[in-house]
Amino acid sequence: MTPWTMESLSAATRALVPELLAFLAQDGCDDVAFDAMALRLFTHQYAHNEPLRRFCQRRGLTPRRVSTWRDIPAVPINAFKETTLSCEPVQSCERVFMTSGTTRAEVKGRHHHPTIAVWDRSMQRNFAARFMRGGARMPMAILFPPETELGNSSLARYLALAVREFGTAESAWYLTSAGMNLPGLRARLREAESSGEPLAVLGASYGFVHLIDAMAQDGESVRLPAGSRLLDTGGYKRQSRELAPEDFYNEITLRLGVPRAQCINMYGMTELSSQFYDEGNTITPSIKRGPHWSRSRVVDPMTGREMPPGEEGVLTHCDLASFNSTTTILTEDVGVAVDGGFLLLGRAQGAQARGCSLAVAEFLGTA
Amino acid sequence: MSTVPSSAWKAGHLPGLRNEEVTWQTLRFDGVPGQPLEIAVPALMPEQAAALARRVRLRAREVLQTLPLSAVVERIDRAVARLLDANDPLRQQADELLPRVTGYDATMVRLGLTRHLQTFRAPQLHRFVSEDFSNPKVLDEFQPALKGGMVRAFGPGLLVHHWAGNVPGLPLWSLACGLLVKAGNIGKLPSAEPVFATVFARALAAVDPALDDCFAAVWWRGGEAEPAATLNAQADTVLAYGGQETVDQIRAQVPAATRFLAYGYKLGVALVGRVALDSQRGAAMARLAAQDVARFEQQGCYSPHVFYVERGGRMDPRDFAQHLASELAALGQRHPRPALALTDAVAVAKWRQSVEWSTSEQTLFGDEASPWAVAFSEHALPLSPTAGWRCVQVVAVDMLEAAADALAPHAPYLQTAGVAVEPERLYPLSLRLARAGITRMCALGAMTSPEAGWHHDGGFNLRDLVRIAEIEASAERAADKLAPYAQEDTP
Repeated sequence: MTPWTMESLSAATRALVPELLAFLAQDGCDDVAFDAMALRLFTHQYAHNEPLRRFCQRRGLTPRRVSTWRDIPAVPINAFKETTLSCEPVQSCERVFMTSGTTRAEVKGRHHHPTIAVWDRSMQRNFAARFMRGGARMPMAILFPPETELGNSSLARYLALAVREFGTAESAWYLTSAGMNLPGLRARLREAESSGEPLAVLGASYGFVHLIDAMAQDGESVRLPAGSRLLDTGGYKRQSRELAPEDFYNEITLRLGVPRAQCINMYGMTELSSQFYDEGNTITPSIKRGPHWSRSRVVDPMTGREMPPGEEGVLTHCDLASFNSTTTILTEDVGVAVDGGFLLLGRAQGAQARGCSLAVAEFLGTA
Repeated sequence: MSTVPSSAWKAGHLPGLRNEEVTWQTLRFDGVPGQPLEIAVPALMPEQAAALARRVRLRAREVLQTLPLSAVVERIDRAVARLLDANDPLRQQADELLPRVTGYDATMVRLGLTRHLQTFRAPQLHRFVSEDFSNPKVLDEFQPALKGGMVRAFGPGLLVHHWAGNVPGLPLWSLACGLLVKAGNIGKLPSAEPVFATVFARALAAVDPALDDCFAAVWWRGGEAEPAATLNAQADTVLAYGGQETVDQIRAQVPAATRFLAYGYKLGVALVGRVALDSQRGAAMARLAAQDVARFEQQGCYSPHVFYVERGGRMDPRDFAQHLASELAALGQRHPRPALALTDAVAVAKWRQSVEWSTSEQTLFGDEASPWAVAFSEHALPLSPTAGWRCVQVVAVDMLEAAADALAPHAPYLQTAGVAVEPERLYPLSLRLARAGITRMCALGAMTSPEAGWHHDGGFNLRDLVRIAEIEASAERAADKLAPYAQEDTP
């Protein structure tokens, strides 16, 4: 295989990328500028992404009939499994991220990135503002396998970038596909406690559960130095016991001594190219918000119509960093629109059978 | 603990326990928009459950087990008759509460309940018993066995039922089975629909107050350890209805020596032959098919999810799908689909999307605003349940026989097949369906109304509950020899 270069991409994509990078680099944007870029991307995707175009045509939508980002049809995340959503031929793309797929029966969703530069820039700008909050590099302890092990995981990429761009040389990984290095991690926590140097612990929510369970078993707890902070993401994925958010943050605070205000939850998806953060979890559910190049709505899953503020629906996101697939996706996550963002209430547990009729999830073994 | 308003309707049947001795929790239902309903359900302490189990076991032995089968049938029949009477206060409670609990259309619930109850009248109950016991008197006394000697069938002293689901009336199957084998019965009310079993228990207790403490209906939140573990530990037999996860969880609580019978979630299919697809019959078939789909919103194990429609008739499969769509649209007017909970709405939307994005070309009838959807495929598809709530898949096939054979990999999930073919094909096709794993073949339009005495999921529903005790011929002969009138030299 020849090494990837920008030159292998189409002229249309090559023209788009610098524009987009500049857009991400802005300090913010108003609705007019957002709509303009959203329409620019929709026109590009409509022209070059055939499954997306057919989806729009079934709905009678063309770029002419779209005047704001709200008019862009939200592509269900399942479509990333059913079809190839990419403007560029996939063999020309620099990276592909895949959904984790918890069972064998489940097909993985694929998100193709012609160049990873946009995804990287999106992650860095947003992470700098929302997790680092403008602070200096910190030592990081990572509770997720490294990118060298999980090359198709967007979270592995995310954490690799966090360490590379925002971590110090003392940063290290404590979870590999072989398992979790609990003794090493616990020693690292004690070391941070005695050294007084703040530590950032970042990783999968289930990694934190394994950690606090192991500490609880030995009755251990540490007080990480002031300035330490945590970032968890992704839920439990059946990898650990499941905790309500209240209990999760209480137990973490109890074991690690990091106040709930310094415990950040990141909400990200393989199907997106940007992440959402809260401002700590003193109160759960916390309010989540994306960067200036994203917008979110809460809609009725059946009709796609926006729910009134305060009413539950499913989240749709328009993420302008997703320039190659689709800017706008329909998730299966339940949310409520509130001032300053949205509350994430968890995944819609697609249909527990209420009678004795078989539900799809059980049939596929994903229940 | 939520406080229970005194006005809340109380579910459960708790012989020997006064209301004030019990902790009540409130379940909220919004089946009918604008008419929220609160139902109080009893949360027993393990000691209370244990005492209840002892009482039910004892009283079943003292009362139920001394009654002849025909007397048991007669009492069930009278309780069912009460519930078939539209003017009966208990029936009126069921009619009023069930739509508000389940969200199902009120008329559909009323008609469905009546149809269901009709299969539990005395003649049907006798037939039910005869299906499993060639001589039903074995449930009353020792009866001669063909091989020699005598046999008698005993039901479990205590039968614990874990009911599931919100298809009203489901608990009646297992409770009737338990009563017919004269077991003491304790059933766990499903949180999704605690009304019907309560109403039936009250009707039965009213018909014969002596039976009042031969059965109980209790509640706990599904998945909670207690009082489930206490009851399972006391039971002779445990019956569980539910999904694989639920069944596994219950199984883990049941002592190894206790008999455990599980009824998992299933799905139904229908096969429409070309002979049924001429211009007159085709439309009628689509109407019957739509009824099977709409009744209880495909939440029953017998409900159809996929229709295999044969090519070569006057009406081609695509036309059938279109007819089915129009019939569902018409039914939607007469019997509206309930407002969907968010999770159900997501499931329906997801199913629609999977059709829309499917790589095999499919046509989807019904837009996002329609309270139904028909997906049509010209090509064979692997069997998969739809999202229910009147979402149905129509698949065109060249030969129904091939479609039947292709079901085999899904045998553990198969139950009912609605079939519309001519007599020459019915038996060979049924044989293929049965070999593939289908356990019930019925007419279109009858899928949601199994006959009395059907073999639910292919089992002997009564026979599986009993234990046979037999007196062998040698014991009779030996006894004869020990009789005071025995003569030493008789051979």
